[in-house]
Parts: sequence; structure tokens; C-alpha cells
Amino acid sequence: MPIPVQELLKKKEHFERDPDRLPHDFRDEVFALEEQGEWIVQRAPDPIVEVPTKYGYLKKVPKQHLWHHKSCGQCGHIPGYSTSIFWVMRKLGYEYNDPRDQTSCTAWNYYASATSNAAAQAAVALRNFAAAYEVGYFPLIHCGTSYGHYKEVREELLHHPELRAQVREIMNKLGKPMVMPEEIVHYSEWFYAMRHEIAALQVCDFTGIAATVHPACHYYKLVEGDAIYDPDVYGGQRTAIVTGVAEALGAEVRTYSTWFDCCGFGFRHILVQRDFTRSFATLRKIQVMKEEADPDVVLTHDTGCVTTLDKSQFAAMAHGKNVGVPVMSEAQFAALAMGAHPYRVCQLHWHSADYRPLLEKMGIDWQAAWAEFQEDLKKLESGERKFSTWDDVG
Amino acid sequence: MSQTIAVIGGGPAGLEAARGVAELGGNVVLVEKEAFLGGTPIREHYATLTPHFQPAEEAMGVLIEGVTSQPSAEVLLEHEVTACEGEAPDFRLTVSGPGGERVIECGGIIVATGFEHFDPGRETQLYGYYEHPDVLALQDLEAMLKDHNVVRPSNGLPPERICFVQCVGSRDRHIGNEYCSKVCCGVASKEAIEVRQQLPDCKVFIFYIDMRMYGYWENQIYWPAQEDYHVQYIKGIITEVLKKGDKLLVRGEDTTMGRPMEVAMDMVVLSVGMEPSKGTRAMARILGIEPNKYGFIEAANPPLDTVTTSRRGIFACGAALGPADLEDCASSGGAAAMKALAFLRRKPVTVA
Repeated sequence: MPIPVQELLKKKEHFERDPDRLPHDFRDEVFALEEQGEWIVQRAPDPIVEVPTKYGYLKKVPKQHLWHHKSCGQCGHIPGYSTSIFWVMRKLGYEYNDPRDQTSCTAWNYYASATSNAAAQAAVALRNFAAAYEVGYFPLIHCGTSYGHYKEVREELLHHPELRAQVREIMNKLGKPMVMPEEIVHYSEWFYAMRHEIAALQVCDFTGIAATVHPACHYYKLVEGDAIYDPDVYGGQRTAIVTGVAEALGAEVRTYSTWFDCCGFGFRHILVQRDFTRSFATLRKIQVMKEEADPDVVLTHDTGCVTTLDKSQFAAMAHGKNVGVPVMSEAQFAALAMGAHPYRVCQLHWHSADYRPLLEKMGIDWQAAWAEFQEDLKKLESGERKFSTWDDVG
Repeated sequence: MSQTIAVIGGGPAGLEAARGVAELGGNVVLVEKEAFLGGTPIREHYATLTPHFQPAEEAMGVLIEGVTSQPSAEVLLEHEVTACEGEAPDFRLTVSGPGGERVIECGGIIVATGFEHFDPGRETQLYGYYEHPDVLALQDLEAMLKDHNVVRPSNGLPPERICFVQCVGSRDRHIGNEYCSKVCCGVASKEAIEVRQQLPDCKVFIFYIDMRMYGYWENQIYWPAQEDYHVQYIKGIITEVLKKGDKLLVRGEDTTMGRPMEVAMDMVVLSVGMEPSKGTRAMARILGIEPNKYGFIEAANPPLDTVTTSRRGIFACGAALGPADLEDCASSGGAAAMKALAFLRRKPVTVA
């Protein structure tokens, strides 16, 4: 009784995870270590949204009371990225803590084989977790690399008692408790969890906007089990992050053949082989997107990815390559959808590729917005205003 | 004390066990959840069996006939075991079927509930089984080969380039299946030969970690695949299968050459491994027999007693015990029949 091809296709339409075959849940070990007195597990504060993950269990994403673990590269190169995260959270009415005592995770140099050792890496992570715990807020990690690195650190700590002992010694010297959050949450997971609330406050129509998505390697290729995979997005076979937000906002997400590739940043490459980075970002990513999907915008969710995909394009343009697509985070994209100012909030003037045609397609008057921003600058230059506040950005 | 042996599962191992019990003069009840006998080779539409290329239906037909022709064998199709009470040799096995529940009184039980193919949706590598129509699993290609209709599901055209990706769901610590599934290398090579027979113009590649060709399979399929059918074996793990135009872009590492590779294919066949079937996992619970960490039934006295389980009077055979080829399944089916009957017929030792 042979089966026709159509029957085969039907069988392959939908993946459903067998509940009897869920991989081991790391949280069991996290809580077991708490029971043994090894550390404190910081619970995700209510209200929470549960999101589906690659390994099938649900991840808790708190809506508010979040401690913003910021990204070095975002703050330094694309400040509108983190501003957009804060702005959206404020517009939705969720309170947060923007700490001044966070340290860099140091993972960039770690992944570039440049610095540090396991105990130092883990101590930095736990030092930041403790700082969040001490003020009673739950960590929200802005940077994809910090996020992936902290999850690797968690794995190392779970399985190496001698590492925990070393870190405990450091934490004792710092006078801080050993704390592990119940979940390690990336900001883009918060945006995914909140995508329908964001869409409910949308003021710009994005139905005519075509986007390509670059999922960040350090989000879903490091300790991939608790990255968001949703059966309703790509059939649960690719991470749903970013794509879910773009689709909730009405944009059309188009695929391309090199979506799985690195953006080109590569850590070591951006430091010591930058030509490789520029070539990879443009020839393997942007140009392929242009040829296969012709997007209006490239959306991603990590510092290095936005900067690399955006700021590499000038070099390829000089060689007459088929590039020239604006690149931004989904946080900026969502903020624009909700009516955020493209310069005061999203700070697109820090971006290299021309974003103005995109804003026009979104129905945003960038010339008027730029004039407003110039007025702000005049006030700052004249001393009339010392700095801009949330009240100034709308 | 009942003299009946209950065999649970009507695949190759269960059929051989039931036939063995009957031919040795025992009474046997064979309980099968499907509406047909033959197990996975029939349910999944296997074209031929590895390594001898016999048509699967024909070969399984012989085994089925070997059971159904026995007067002392009763076959219960569409029945599932739901409970087990008592101790050996007085088990009371509750089975549920279209006619309702029934209790089978039996002195011994043989579990032959087999395996299921690894679901590529759980793969941590990016193989896109559920994303791309032209990514198939071994059993999907078997069905096409049986139908003599090997075509790309996306467009109905015969493929010009096919590759097999080995060790999907096997030898993979991330997934938790560290074991080798034993048969996939042989089955992939057999299917590669059959593709070349049916589509002589199609180029066939096999990407492997290392080919595991047990015993005579080396000469039966591995060398003929290369020397007679020009199947190309490339050592290296595949990491991604992506869509590029109307082709599949297969990416990975050529470990012989020590470099990354990227090749276009029309079809990709994932050589999925073996995992304990739902029935095997359920029987471990219902019958109270020890599974191993993967969910297969644990043999209690390895290596020389391969079929005795942790519970007295209950035996297991075939792929319920772990990855097994058909030869192993038939052999352990026979061994389980012998052990179960010997258990029932063993005379008690009397002390003078």
C-alpha cells in the first residue's frame, strides 16, 4: 500500500513536540542548587507572560519590574536602540529600573579569545545578577552576546561545583549574594511576549512594509533550549524572535537563503579581520536579502548585528554592490509603529544606510521630525536645555 | 497457572516470537494495536529490507503466515494492553479493542513493541524537515521507492541530485541520544543503490560522520553502492539545509578536506535514528519493567541473556530493547520465545 507524495507532504505540515520527549529542564538543577543552599534563585515577578521555547517548555517573561542590563555597543554606537526599549516600556505603562552600577559582561573579548577565565566570567555575571536582586528588580538583558554568554555561564555553574566555589569566594569579597535568576531573559523576548500589547497601541500602518529578519547567533545558537520557538511562526522550526513582532505589527516578513548565517560581526573578525566582516555582512547577507527578498528594512535584535549589517554597507556601496537597506532593531521598529519620534527616540541619525525612504513608506514625515530635532539641538547648544528628558521626546 | 504466552507487538520480532512459541507447541496470543501485522516495515511502507533487498511486504508476509497458520496462535488486531495484574506465571493482561476489554490469562509475556523513527523536528541541527517539502526522512524515501515514484515533492519532478545526511537523532548528546542507531548507514546505502537503479541519471551523495557497516553489510551494500552504483560518500557533518531558489543548499564541513562546504541538492534525505516507540514506553510503565535512560527496555542480564527483563516472566525482543536491525529482531524474537516457554515449562526443583 504505497502512499502518494501528497500524504508525505501532509505528514510534514506541522511539527508537534511529543510531551514525553522534552529534554531535561535546566531549571530543575537551578532550583536544586537553591535547596542545597548554593545560591538564591530570583523568581520572575508577576505579572508574567509564558512564551514557548525550542525544547518545549514555557519560559516566564516578566512584564515589568525589570532591571535593564544595557549593552555596551548599543549605548556607544546606536543609542536609539536602548532608548526605544525604554520608550516602549514606558508607553505600555510598565515600570523598570535603569541601573547605573551595571558592569560590562566582558563577553565580547571572551568570544574574541582575548580575555579572562571561567571564574572571572561567571563572577561578572553573578555580580550583575546580585546587583539586580539587591534592588529587587529582575534582570532584562539588552545585548544578545551578554544573554548568550550568561546562559553559557549558567551551564558552567550548574555543572561545575569547583567553579561555584571560586565564584562564591569572589562574591564574598564583594559582599554580594550568589543569585541566579529563574530565567535569563533577553529584551527581544520581552518584545515578543508583549507584541500584541504593542500592536494594540500602533499608530503607523506597516502592512506595506517588507522586512527581512536576521536572528542573532548568540540569541539562539548558544544554549539554544530556552530560546523562543513558536509553533505558529515558521512551524516552530526557526526562532520566532523578531519575526513574531514584525508580523504582529502587520509587516510582511520575507525569507532569504542566508538567514542562518552570522551577520559578519564574528567577534574576532570585527576586531582583527574587519575586511572579512564588511564583505560577509554585505555580500553574504545584505546583497542576498536584496536579490532574494528585496526588503524595505532589515530587522534584528542584537547590538553587533545592527551595527555590522548597517555600517558595513558603505564599503560595498563604494564598489557598486547591490546594497542599501536600512537596518534597525525590532525595538526601534516597534517604537516607530507606536509613534515614537524617529530622531528623539529612535535616533536613526546614528544609522548609516538610508532610512528615509522607509520612513516615508511608513507614513512618517522625517523632514518635520528632523526640523524638530534640530530645534532640540539649538536649545542644547544655547544652554536653554541641559539635556533632553522623557518629557521632551513625547 | 496459564500455559499461554502473550506477545505484545506484531512487527518482525513479535511475529518471530509468536511463531517460535507456537512451533514449540505453546499457546500464544499476539496483541497488535494496528489493524494489520508486520510492524514498522508495513506501516511505513518500506520498499525492501536491508541488506538483501527482498520486497518488504513479501518478506513480512512469510513471517505473518508463519503465525496466522498456527492453530495455537490467536491474533488480536487493533488491541492495546492497558493493564497487567498478577505475577508470573499467573499474569492477567487487560487488552482493549474494538469489541471492548478482555483479560488474557498468561504465564509469560514477551514485549515486542519496537521503535519509532526519530522525529527530525526535534533535531538541533537546522535540517528543515518541516520547512522544506524536499527534505525527507529515510522512511519517506522508502515509500517513494516502493511506489517507483521518486520525485521532488515540491514539483513532482525526478531529482537530479540527492544527498543523505547520516546520524540525524543518533550519536547526538544535545538531543540525549548518544547511541548509534545501527541500521541507518546500511539503510541509507541500500536506498542510495535503489535510487540509482530507479533514476540512473540522479547523482547520490551520503554525508556521514563515519559509516558503520556491521558484519557482511560492508560487502553487501557499502562497496556495491560505491563501485557498482557510484554513490559518493563524503565525510563530514551537515549543519544546515536552507532553501536557495528551487534548490536546497546543504552546508556543513568536509572533514577530509578540512574546510566548509556548500552544495546544492534537489532532495535531502535525513537518516533518522531509532527511538523507543510509544508502545515500548507504555509497556515499561504498565508492565513494571525497567527501561534504560533512553526509554528502551533494559535487558537484565547482558550480554549473554539479551531478552530477560527486570520482571520475572516478562521478556523483550527486537527494537524494544534498543536499536536493532532485522536480523537482530528475528533472532531476539526467537530467543524470547525459547526463554518464555522454558520459563513456563521449567520443572520446580524438589528437595528430597
